[in-house]
Parts: sequence; structure tokens; C-alpha cells
Amino acid sequence: MMNNLITILPSYGAAVLVTLEVSVLAALLGIAGGFVINALRLRFTRSLALPYGFFVWLIRGTPYLSQLVVIYFGLPALGVTMSAVQATIVSLALYSSAYFAEIFRAAWNSVPHGQLEAAQVFGISRWARFRVIELPQAAAFALPLLANQVILVIKESSVASIITVPELTMTASGIVSATYTYIGPYALLIVAYWLLTQAVSLLAQQVSARIPFLRKTS
Amino acid sequence: MNDPDFLAHAASYLPQLLQGALTTLWLSALAVVCGFFAGIFIYTMSVSQSRLLSTAARVHVSMFRGTPVLVQLLVFYYVPSALGLDLPGAVAAAIALSLNTAAYQSQILGVGFRSIPRGQIEAAVTFNLTRRQTLWYIEVPQVVRTTLPALVSEMIDVIKASAVVSVISVTDLMRVGQQLSSSTYRPLEAYSLAACFYLGITTLLSITGHVYSRYATRRG
Repeated sequence: MMNNLITILPSYGAAVLVTLEVSVLAALLGIAGGFVINALRLRFTRSLALPYGFFVWLIRGTPYLSQLVVIYFGLPALGVTMSAVQATIVSLALYSSAYFAEIFRAAWNSVPHGQLEAAQVFGISRWARFRVIELPQAAAFALPLLANQVILVIKESSVASIITVPELTMTASGIVSATYTYIGPYALLIVAYWLLTQAVSLLAQQVSARIPFLRKTS
Repeated sequence: MNDPDFLAHAASYLPQLLQGALTTLWLSALAVVCGFFAGIFIYTMSVSQSRLLSTAARVHVSMFRGTPVLVQLLVFYYVPSALGLDLPGAVAAAIALSLNTAAYQSQILGVGFRSIPRGQIEAAVTFNLTRRQTLWYIEVPQVVRTTLPALVSEMIDVIKASAVVSVISVTDLMRVGQQLSSSTYRPLEAYSLAACFYLGITTLLSITGHVYSRYATRRG
């Protein structure tokens, strides 16, 4: 049993890298996308309120798996063909961008409006208001939520095993069906995901402890 | 059988889709209800004096929140069968989803439990209520009322998470979408139609939650 576990470790190592590659890329794209979406929403409050609401409603109202299969199996009918890994990254980025946009929205709303008005009265420039007043407080608010969402992205990436992306879950299932051993490979799979998600939440805690303005004052 | 006019035939797929939606709904409802009671149990374990019980509760919550639902599902489907206990897909799915949402619900309910003023519990002790009576007649009703919005959104999360049970051949909404996709060769339409059903279910639930919480706040 122990020997078996040691022989399958290298394939898990490779699979962790695939899971990380897919989720990190998707999370970065999702954060950037969510940030831009929220910025556009703030800039064009009136005209974008409806499309923004529709986008968030659509993404948050359906399972990630159904978004993945629409993009991977459905879009080729419209002439958009992607590899399984590409479809996973694109769908996961799209999916998480809605959640990230909502996090940024809540973070921006968490800064009391009176502070900005006071700053304006004191003649502080728009850029300085953003940099010194809004950004630090919004970042402190958003950081734990962002970490939580990144953890969700890592967990959702397991669904990509259904379209045969060779990430952790796919690799474990392959080993299970090739060796007919269940407990070892699955135990290792659970440990691998648990360590990944634990690492993200520890990292977020470290970051917020090290950087003074990220420490929540309230 | 290449179906050129999927949308024209969409009506004929409705019974199948409704059947799948029903499976998704009862499976999720079962998981949420079982998860609610298990969640209360896990919360009471986590605040118990016994170091062993509170550690067990912490491990459960950390494991189920730190790993994907899909993995939990595969474990509950394949590991029992390896040990000689063949669980039907629907049973494995119900167990995995219940234990998963129990971990989340224990956290949600914990917030509610902690918001109950200490004096109420002390009053209950004074009135000679047993620990169990205090829990079910004094704490739980208030906890449910204060955490209802979070519980509704957890319910929506469970419905969405339940889409992965299609991989262990439970004929839920997602699985019906797959079947339609492979029988009509129209994956875009079939999967989009299934997604619309999910959207309908989650939207209805979220509206119900909003209406109820508005009604509850007005009642005070």
C-alpha cells in the first residue's frame, strides 16, 4: 500500500501543476476581468447597470459545470473551438470574474462616502483620494473575500476532469481505474486539494498580517 | 439522428428536462434538510467541552470546505463499493452533498447561535429547561430566522453543486442535458436549455428568499 502510494506520487506532482496552472491563470484573468467590469460599472453607472446585473445573474445562477460544457461542447457549433485546457481556463475565468466583480463592488461600497466628500473639501485630488483613501480600505475589505474566491476556483477546477483535463481529479480517477485501488489514490487526492486550499488561506492571512494597511482596523 | 430544428423540438424535451429538474430538486432538498440537522450537530460538537468532539467538528468542516464536491462525491461512490458496499449513485450523492452542506451550514448557523444573548440561555436554565429543550425551542427558531438569507444562498449553492452528480450516473438536470446533447447532436442548445432550467430554479429560490425576508422583517 505504502509502495503503491510512492509510485503514484510523481503523477500527482504533475497533476498538481496542471490544477495550479489552470486555476492560477483563471483566477488572475478573473480578478483582472472582475476589476475591469466593476470599474466600467462605476464609470457608466446608468447604462451598464442592466447588462452588469444580467451577467452576474447568469453566471451566479447556473452551475459552473453547465457553463463549462456550453463553452467546450456548445461553442464549436458557432465556430469557436478550444482545447479542453483552454475551455477550462476561459470558462473558469468568466465564471470567477462575475464573483470577483461582486467582491470589488462590495469592497468599494464599504468605504464610507463621507470620507470622500471630506477629502474633496480638503482639496485632495481625485487620484490621491483613490490611492490613499479608497484603495487601502477597499483592499483590506476585499483580501479575505478574494482568497476565498481563489479557493473556490481551485475547487471548481476539479470539474475540468469531466472534459478530460489531466488535473488532479482526472489523474486520481485514472489511477483508480487502472489499479483498482481506491482508498490510497483518493486519500492522496483529498490531501492534495486540502493542502492547496489551506496554502491559499494561509498566504492571504500572512499577506494581511505583513502589510499594515491590509490589517482591518474595525 | 441529426436534428436540424432543435428549438422547434424543444417542447418535446420538456418532460425529460422537468424529470431531471425534479431529481435535482429533491436531491438538493434532501441534502439541505439533512445538512441542516447535521450542521446543528456539528456546531454543538464544535462548542462542546470535549476536546475530541470539537476537534472532530473542526476536521469535518475543514475537510469538506477544503476539497471539491466532485472529489467528495467520487469518494462516497467508489470507496464503499471497494469495501464491498455498493451504494446506488443517488444514495452516494445524497450522503456526499449532505455532509458537504453540513460543513457550510454549521458555519452559517454558528453565526446565528453566537448572536443569541447569553441571558436567554441563563433564563432557560433557571426555568429548568433541559439542554435539548433550550436548543430546539429557544435557540434554533431564532437562529433560523437570523440566518435565513445565508441559508437560502447555501441552498442555491447546493443546487449548483449538485450538477456534478451527473458523473456518477444520477439522472439529474445536467445528465438530461448530456443525454439530449448526445441524442440530438446539438450540444449548444441542449446544454443551454439545461442551464436555463438551473437559472429558473435558482432565480425562483432567491426571489422567494428575498420576499420572505422582507415579510419577516416587516413582521419584526
